[in-house]
Amino acid sequence: MLDNQKFSLYNYHTNFDKDILMSYKGPFDKHILAILGNYIEVILGRNPKAGKKIFKIFIELAQNISFYSAENDKLGTLAGIGTVVIGEFEGHYTFVSGNLVRNEDVVPIMEKCEIINSLDREGLRKYKRDMRGTPQGEHGSAHIGLIQVALTAEAPLDIEVTPVDNQVSFFTVSVKIEK
Amino acid sequence: MKNLEIPGSRDVYFIPAVSFDAESGVCSISGESYLEETVKFYMPLYEWLREFISTAKKPIEFNFKLTYFNTSSSRCILDILNILKDYEDNGGVVTVNWHYDEEDTDMEEEVEDYMIESELKINLVPM
Repeated sequence: MLDNQKFSLYNYHTNFDKDILMSYKGPFDKHILAILGNYIEVILGRNPKAGKKIFKIFIELAQNISFYSAENDKLGTLAGIGTVVIGEFEGHYTFVSGNLVRNEDVVPIMEKCEIINSLDREGLRKYKRDMRGTPQGEHGSAHIGLIQVALTAEAPLDIEVTPVDNQVSFFTVSVKIEK
Repeated sequence: MKNLEIPGSRDVYFIPAVSFDAESGVCSISGESYLEETVKFYMPLYEWLREFISTAKKPIEFNFKLTYFNTSSSRCILDILNILKDYEDNGGVVTVNWHYDEEDTDMEEEVEDYMIESELKINLVPM
């Protein structure tokens, strides 16, 4: 993108208005996670309850990107590539994360998210307990991570899937966290 | 048998402090748990508990003082509770205390969920 002259850093910069607390696109390797996690704790320190929730959500979703993104940092860490943005508004924060997923994974992920969004808090807690009783995968379980995100945010998962090509789609999950 | 002591640290990952006392049977996990290889970290804790249970056969007092853990760690915590529950079912004396910040309602829910899953009584103790 940078080499065809059409990329405007000015547009990119100014499109991120004052509501954006933080944005990052790139590989989600352990050092990046540590730095961003630390930064989130610092900037949200003035609102400890919401800040802790955002930190917990960040760790789960950032680990999902790190382990499951269909796009990897081929030159260096092999960590998954994705994007996170945190916005601050009058009564809430918005946490958005996105990454490429393989098309065959889209339906299972969407089904999982639909189940999560159909449940009330007690139902979600039961769902988490049931999933936690099943054997652990290689990196834990992305499914529990998403359930935990909905529980922590105390809000549904706002999901968007943008088809990219016949291999991959861009998967976005967005949650609101009340102040 | 030896005590199990792991100093906690908070760097790229968050390592909880572990203190398992073979003499008194008082065990604690404190701090924050977010690890590179979660199961690998918790495995020696399971092994220590199993050895204590099979050889010492003394009462266990287990104190959780965790302020944060990710979902991977949450499975390992459940494994510890299940080991303790098995001990209790087989005649062992087990006390589990969960120390927490009273304002942390998410943590209170976590503990309730652990009680339902493990069927073990957990005392909520405000810090």
